[in-house]
Amino acid sequence: MNDFSELETELRELQPAPVSDELFARLECALAQSDPTPTAGFLPRTAQRRNIWWSLGLGLTAASALVFIGLTFFAEPPRTQPAVVQKTPAPFGPGTSGFLPSALTQVVYRQRDEGLVFSPNQSERLLRRVRYQTRETMQWRNPQTGASLRVSYPAEQVVLTPVSFQ
Amino acid sequence: MESTLTDEDWKTCFAQLGPALLLFARRWTNSRADAEDIVQDAFVRFWRRQHSIENRALLYATVRSTALDRLRSDQRRARREAAVALDGAKHWEPQFTTLDEGQQMLAAAVERLPDEQQEVVVLKIWNDLTFAEIAQILAISPNTAASRYRYALSALKKAMQPYE
Repeated sequence: MNDFSELETELRELQPAPVSDELFARLECALAQSDPTPTAGFLPRTAQRRNIWWSLGLGLTAASALVFIGLTFFAEPPRTQPAVVQKTPAPFGPGTSGFLPSALTQVVYRQRDEGLVFSPNQSERLLRRVRYQTRETMQWRNPQTGASLRVSYPAEQVVLTPVSFQ
Repeated sequence: MESTLTDEDWKTCFAQLGPALLLFARRWTNSRADAEDIVQDAFVRFWRRQHSIENRALLYATVRSTALDRLRSDQRRARREAAVALDGAKHWEPQFTTLDEGQQMLAAAVERLPDEQQEVVVLKIWNDLTFAEIAQILAISPNTAASRYRYALSALKKAMQPYE
């Protein structure tokens, strides 16, 4: 690092452009005002995160419904009596439909570190917020008929990790 | 936590830290006016929470978080600014009060550094933060922060050699 000491000195002699009087005035005005929403725009937006989990939940529910419909559709059709399916309940899964889980993938296609935020519950606690956007794909295959069923849906997860400054 | 901060305290602190905060905020915007908005929002939030002004890493983390929030909330403008930056019109408003030709060359060389190196240099040189503090702010390891700093100084030294 000694090689750069002269350069560092020269850099320190460069003065950042000064703050305008207007900014001082604006700050004075902002700090003088009472703060009805001291955390707006800075803390993690809990409502938004809740929406994300809602979306994820709805997505999973929709995926489950699709799987159920698919299993019903590909199951052996009751040819004589429509009630046969009801009368011979078999365990849900490969026993009746012949579909076997063949693949489950989760691809993280974007990871964004959104920096430090304050905890919504403990306002003094610092958290690092990382947002993951993924695509999850589930696939079933019927080895007898060769039919396959695939469900794919996007998902977003927000991970908050506690941090501390030393 | 300091709880007895007066009106004069913030003025003193901001007079001291404001220029470097603005310089740091310029990493995310080409406009000085936008940088001032970011610094204003961040400083107000920081000050209202009555954090110790000694905790400058937290102050800079607040500036960074505010800047990223603004970018996210105004994607269209961010894209437009990114396009302008790609056109080579980056930082058209001067970031330094330069005196002589040598300083102007050096300031221009700093502004030509890659963003990731530039922010480390800004935090280290004009804010006197440690590599550990810089690492906390930028979510990187202290070694990475130190490496980026060394690369930046090497690049600056190389850029300045023809003029020495």
